[in-house]
Amino acid sequence: MQKAAFLVIIALLAVSCNQASSENNNAPETAGAEQIVSATIQELLATPADYDGKEVAVSGMVTHVCRHGGQKCFIVAEDGETQIRIVPGGDIDEFKIEMEGSTVAFKGVFRVLSSTEVEALVEDYESQEQHAVEQSHSEAEKADYFVEAVDFKEVSP
Amino acid sequence: MNWRKWNRWIHRELGFLFFGMTIVYGISGIALNHHVTRDWDPGIITRSVINQYPDPLQKSSVDRTTIEEILEISGEKENYKQYYFPSDNLLMIYLKGGHITVDLHSGRIQTTKIRSRPVFSELNYLHYNKPKKLWTWFSDLYAFGLVLIAISGLFLIKGRKGITGRGGVLTLIGILLPLLFLVIYLWV
Repeated sequence: MQKAAFLVIIALLAVSCNQASSENNNAPETAGAEQIVSATIQELLATPADYDGKEVAVSGMVTHVCRHGGQKCFIVAEDGETQIRIVPGGDIDEFKIEMEGSTVAFKGVFRVLSSTEVEALVEDYESQEQHAVEQSHSEAEKADYFVEAVDFKEVSP
Repeated sequence: MNWRKWNRWIHRELGFLFFGMTIVYGISGIALNHHVTRDWDPGIITRSVINQYPDPLQKSSVDRTTIEEILEISGEKENYKQYYFPSDNLLMIYLKGGHITVDLHSGRIQTTKIRSRPVFSELNYLHYNKPKKLWTWFSDLYAFGLVLIAISGLFLIKGRKGITGRGGVLTLIGILLPLLFLVIYLWV
């Protein structure tokens, strides 16, 4: 009986630690909501500073999902060449490989990195062996702009 | 009951209770190590098949009929999603569960099918805490239990094989080794 009670105390201790942490994480992040700007990939990239930090809606065919944890994907514009990097944010944990080849509408925040952040990004990119060969999404992968998605929906097929 | 008996009891019971969790985290930990070093992808299995298009192709001449022919050759007509050109010489046709890359100049067709790797994909699912919710609590409990197992393990044996003898030396080595890797790879 004593032993069982001891185990229960340990379990309750672990659970209560976790609950305290969860409560902190659930604190409201922002007050107020901004209007969502609907834009094409070309529009975003033509004047990135105009969209920096704004919530945008953008869509395109997913050309590639990162194989290492699905922590980024790329969508291509209607010109078939221009691509943009999308990273998971909000409640999105990862992007699934199954999204490749589907047209997906993303909602998220458009971000432009500072020059220091870009240098770190490129350095990290070039240190990764699988990126030895340039790919069609390589430019978008090293670019200083990306969308941090908070929601997405597969449109087709 | 003295404290040593309690200590042995904690070590033994938690060891039994968390055997399964240790296997889950141990095996998936090895898999993720090699994932990080890009040697191998534990989550997916890819299989490629090579076919040949009868004639060389040009980007400007590729249309829906060409795509249908390539799908027919690859046996993937039912799985077609969309296509695009990653470069002037490369055509990518996306499939449900994979993709086809076509070298336009040579007409070489490579069909790659992707599927989940059994066992490892499930273990990784747990290791990355993708279930969240109750799994977070249980895996926290496991982590806490692991600390207790480690601490109680230090005091299982008395004497020259225990923490005051050879056991202490081994424990010190086990603490210094990770520090050595930090010195070599991070701090210097």
